[in-house]
Formats: sequence, C-alpha cells, structure tokens
Amino acid sequence: METNLVFEGLKFMALGMGTVFIFLITLIGMMILLSYVVHKYFPEPVAAPSTPKAEPVPSNNNKIAAIAAALMHHNQNR
Amino acid sequence: MRNFILKLLAALMLFGAVSSLMASAAPVEAMSTHKEETYKSQTMGEMVGNFLKSTGIVALVSPDPEELSATGQHMSDFHKSWGRVIMILITFLMFWLAIRKGFEPLLLLPIGFGGLLANIPIAEIAGPHGFLGVIYAAGLSNELFPIIIFMGVGAMTDFGPLLSNPKTALLGGAAQFGIFGTLVGAVALSQYTDVFDFTIQQASAISIIGGADGPTSIFIATALAPELLGAIAVASYSYMAMVPIIQPPIMRALTTDAERKIKMTTLRHVSRLEKLVFPVMVLSLAILVLPDATPLIGAFMFGNFLKESGVVDRLSDTLQNALINIVTIFLGLGVGSKLAADQFLVADTLGILALGIVAFSAGTAAGVIMAKIMNMFPGHKVNPLIGSAGVSAVPMAARVSNKVGMEYDRTNMLLMHAMGPNVAGVIGSAVAAGVLLSIFNN
Repeated sequence: METNLVFEGLKFMALGMGTVFIFLITLIGMMILLSYVVHKYFPEPVAAPSTPKAEPVPSNNNKIAAIAAALMHHNQNR
Repeated sequence: MRNFILKLLAALMLFGAVSSLMASAAPVEAMSTHKEETYKSQTMGEMVGNFLKSTGIVALVSPDPEELSATGQHMSDFHKSWGRVIMILITFLMFWLAIRKGFEPLLLLPIGFGGLLANIPIAEIAGPHGFLGVIYAAGLSNELFPIIIFMGVGAMTDFGPLLSNPKTALLGGAAQFGIFGTLVGAVALSQYTDVFDFTIQQASAISIIGGADGPTSIFIATALAPELLGAIAVASYSYMAMVPIIQPPIMRALTTDAERKIKMTTLRHVSRLEKLVFPVMVLSLAILVLPDATPLIGAFMFGNFLKESGVVDRLSDTLQNALINIVTIFLGLGVGSKLAADQFLVADTLGILALGIVAFSAGTAAGVIMAKIMNMFPGHKVNPLIGSAGVSAVPMAARVSNKVGMEYDRTNMLLMHAMGPNVAGVIGSAVAAGVLLSIFNN
C-alpha cells in the first residue's frame, strides 16, 4: 500500500507542534523558576542612585585663574 | 578528472615550449585557447573566428550542446540561452528591490549578484571549480555558514523582554503552525492534485520558510532538499523583507478594535544573572529534549552567552559585526550560485514561492489567534498584535506589531513586548527544524 502522505504530514504536525509547545512550556517554567531563584538568593545589589559627584568647580576655577595669571605674567615679562 | 588535469598540464607544457620558440605569439589569444590540447598556428582570420565563438553572445544565441550544468547534468537549450537571459534580468530586478525598495539589501544584493555570476555562460563560475562553486562547497553544502550567522544573531539578541514576560513564548510556539500547516497542505496538493509534485522531504524544506528565519531555512534546505536551496532561500528572504506588507492585513482581519488597544503591563527589570543563565538553560533543555536542534540552538546560545557574559566584548563584537558580515557575503554568493537558470527556472520555483507565502501568513495568523486564546484565561492581557511577532524575522516582525499598535493608540508602545515572542519564535523555529531533522535522520 502506498503511504498516505497527508496522514504522514499530519503526524509531522502533531509531533512538531507538540515538541515546540512542550519545549517552550518547559522553558517558561524554567524561566519563572530562574527569576524566582535569582530574585530570592542572588538579588542584584540595588544600584545606588548614582548622582554624578559634584565637580570641584571652585578649586578648578581657582587653578585656571592661577594659570591664566601666571601666563599673563609670563607674557608680560617677555 | 585526473585525465583533464593531465591534459591541461600537457597543454600548458606544450604552450610553454611553443611560446618560448615563437616569442612573438600573442599571449592574450593563446590564453583563450586553453581548451585546445595542442597549440596550432592560426591565421589571424581563424583566430578572430575562434575568439568570436567564445563570446557570450554566441554562447547565448547558439549554446554548446555539450555544455553541462554546474551539477554536471545536461541542460535544455532553453536553460542555456533564454533562461540565462531571464535569470540575469531577474537578478537586475533583485538589485532594484534591494536598492530602491530597501528589501533586505544585505542579503538580496549578494544573492542577486551571485545569481548574475552563476548565469554567465562558458565561465562556469558556479561550477565545481568556479569561485561560487568553491564558496558553496566550503560553507553551504556542509551547513557551516547558516550556523555562523546564527552565532552572530545570538550575539545581537536580547532575551530580556522574553525573560520578563515568559508566557509570551507561547506566541512564538504557535507561529510555528505556519511550518507544519503548510507541510500538510503541500503534501496534500502533491498527492491528490497535479499542482505540485513535492516529496515529503522537499515539502518539509519548503514549509520551513514559514519559520521566517533565513539561516534555519537554508540549514534545513541543504539537509533535506539541496536542489531547491536557491528558490527556498530567495523566497525566505524576500518574504522576510515583505513582512511589513504581508502581516498587517492579517493582523487587522483577526483582531477587534478593542483588542488592538490593549495596553500591556510594563516589563520588569531582568537581572544580569538571569540573562547569563538563560542561554545555558535553553541549550540544556535542547540537549535533553531534542539533540537534533542543538547545532542551531547551540550556535545561537553561544553567541548570546558571549554577549551576556560581559567579559569578552571583543569576541561578541566580532560576532555581531565583522564575522556576520563576512559570512553574509559568502552565504549570499553561495545561495546566488543556486540561481542558475537550470535550477531556478523550473515549475517547482513557483510552487515554492506560493507555499512560502502561505506558510508565512499561516504563521502570522496562528500567533495572533494564540494571543486571543491566551486572553481567555485569567491574568495579564496580551495584545494580540504582538502574536504576529511570533514568526521569527527579528526584529522586523516586532516593529510591525509596534507600528500597527501605534496606528490605533499612539501611546501604546508594543515594541519591547513584541520582542519576547519574536526571540521565542527563533527558538521555536529551531526546535521545529530539529524535529524535522530528527524525523528524517531516523
């Protein structure tokens, strides 16, 4: 008897879709478990609100002023 | 084969002897007579006549009856003459689509140019010794290039959206219905009608187009039906490029206005450790359930693992850029070599193009319907528009979901939500491919 290809195709579909869903449903379960485990036992250190450190603006300005003054002095002396 | 090399060597030696004796022999004409076993002095008239016979015009108008195809089979006169002209025009159409319309230019241009080169008479670029043939043998017939592309795609993929809303993986599973539904349709039409005449292997290779994943299609086509590779790859990449045209009408037809406006809850933050464990977890599952899918999933997860590890940015960067670009060039040219007229201009190609779009549409529809089914259960509602992203086509399908969603509610950002089913679709189609391989391997 010639194999009924359509029936074969339906079998492929049952096996294929079944495997895909079993795979993904297991994966969903593992993802939920993973998230539970990670959050319970390995919580990420709460990232401290990283406010950019206040630049030492005044001291920098002072330095710049000093350098500028020195340069001016240097140039005038020439 | 050995005979041919011996003859070639003999001819070369003779040519050397002759040319050293008669230093005046014109080297250019002598080069074009490498098929001659001995070099005879020709009058200028004969020389010009023979040269004209070796031109492309003559080869296209009155093809050499002895000429064999790249696979060493006899070709019909049509495939040697007008077929080649038609194919060259088709490659021009591909250039136009890629450059003007922006349809997947990264692949259509190499594939198109490969096709152009493969249809040149006499030069036999796609033959076993031509450079396209060498590229094909080096990385396509052994399925290497699609695997390397998969590594690069893995290194570009972010599983964060999937990890933060795991159940959307079901949408990526449902979309694989496009593959198997088309498979049944193709074998039914082959068995009961004269529309198609595909074997079950060929039908399987064709329906993988519904997975909307170029490398997977190429991987399966080379394994199950290498004679159809050119048409399958071209169909697969063309439909992926046409996702923004194919999907929206199906998505609109299957959803109500209220469903399209569903807002989804914001995604939670995913920790780095989760992202790092995930690729190993998927691979472990594949090892246990379906080792046949591990070449694809393994390569994919390797790329993703390198990226998420955060300590090998150089390697991850190479995978995402340099390596994937190099391999894309070779993959495109290699696939293009299968666009030779004798392999592409056959009735099967039309069948493949038709089945491909059916597979694509069925996958889209199945994803949307799955989302509607999920909404019947309690829990957070899913916007059915992201169901269509379950066909892989990363990230184009997710963008389409986002775009259609925005048309109905401008504040509804679905992109990240759609990325979940999108990457799950890649895993899903790799699993589906693994199932098909496992069936035929036993």
